[in-house]
Amino acid sequence: MGALIKWMQRYEGWFGAAGAVCIFAGLYLGLVASPPDYYQGEVVRIMYVHVPIVQTAMLAYSVLFAGSIWYLWKRDPIVDNLCQAAAGISAYLTAGGLITGSIWAKPTWNTWWTWDARLVSFAVMLLILIGYLMLRTFIDDPEREARFAAVLAIVGFVDLPIVHFSVEWWRTLHQPLSISMRGIALSGEMLRPLIVMSVGFWVLFVYMLMVRTQVLYLTDLLRAKKGRLLSHAHLSDLPT
Amino acid sequence: MRLYVQWTVITIAAALVAVAAARYYDRHLTTVTPEAVVANAAGPSVVRVQGQVAAGTLEGDPAAGRATFRLSGEGAGLPIQYEGPPPENLRELKTLVIIGQWDADAGVFRAHDVALVTNYGFVVGAYLAGFLPIAVFLFAMERRVRRLYAEIRQTKLYEPESVAHVDTR
Repeated sequence: MGALIKWMQRYEGWFGAAGAVCIFAGLYLGLVASPPDYYQGEVVRIMYVHVPIVQTAMLAYSVLFAGSIWYLWKRDPIVDNLCQAAAGISAYLTAGGLITGSIWAKPTWNTWWTWDARLVSFAVMLLILIGYLMLRTFIDDPEREARFAAVLAIVGFVDLPIVHFSVEWWRTLHQPLSISMRGIALSGEMLRPLIVMSVGFWVLFVYMLMVRTQVLYLTDLLRAKKGRLLSHAHLSDLPT
Repeated sequence: MRLYVQWTVITIAAALVAVAAARYYDRHLTTVTPEAVVANAAGPSVVRVQGQVAAGTLEGDPAAGRATFRLSGEGAGLPIQYEGPPPENLRELKTLVIIGQWDADAGVFRAHDVALVTNYGFVVGAYLAGFLPIAVFLFAMERRVRRLYAEIRQTKLYEPESVAHVDTR
């Protein structure tokens, strides 16, 4: 698995550059080329940053979920590094999604916050992620820490379908799904910048994941070097 | 060093985008008050005036693209003579942006378009809240990862183990 770290070190820049290009293109399309909304006016442009952030936060949690299952199966410490990285990024983006959503809510709903099913379930996701990150600081034994954290991440994944379908299952102030099996309820002029920004954020997430995973892996590696964590996997797969 | 150069380029690019956006805003989206127009501060050029359509002043046929009304700000307000595409949002007590020119001789503002209030403060706030933390996160992580690689190289963790030189003399 040291090969994975080497691969990340080699290609992270490409992902960063591709993400930056997509986001700059999305900014142009969203802020300049797309029209204002009939009802919301210019405020609708917040959608092009809020929706991609929320989507990417949920993508990051999905990576954490899949990685946690993989970790419990293979017990590979680098997969645990990847999970911890995804959790941190997801928490960061979930907080960003709540803040940008709150800023969007004020001019459209005339309130910064409301006890709406979508908002509450998304805030619960942030609490689960904060709990996950706090758990990682409580336990001394790294393998137990990773195991418990993986179980928490898998159990917490139950919140994701609730976040996604909350606008369908309950009567909410939040608008229903714009893109679903029923079709796309967005004009092409608004869909294009949204797709470009979303792709940009997904690629940027991969870049962030690569960088953060390396940080966690290298920190563990240094700790191993100092004799505080003698993990066979780390010592046998040193990058050259 | 390379990291700082990269991030300097990114910061300059972001600053250029911000300046371009500010200039676009000044040129196309900034508004003046009805009082400033009456005081002839804008001159004969096309301006965007923001105010509220005063109650009981809307006359004519907005559906046909012709209407007269008074746009109130903090003072007496501005008489508007609108002629253009049928406006979808023109109604009394609605805060709007009216686009047109001040006719000082006739004492009336000749408008040819109506736009919604921009609320760009919320848009700017959301984009800053979305992007700034990510940029700070990435810069901090990039710097950290480079320092860790440097520290690991310094501790010779990358180098294969060599047979220790033993002086037999």
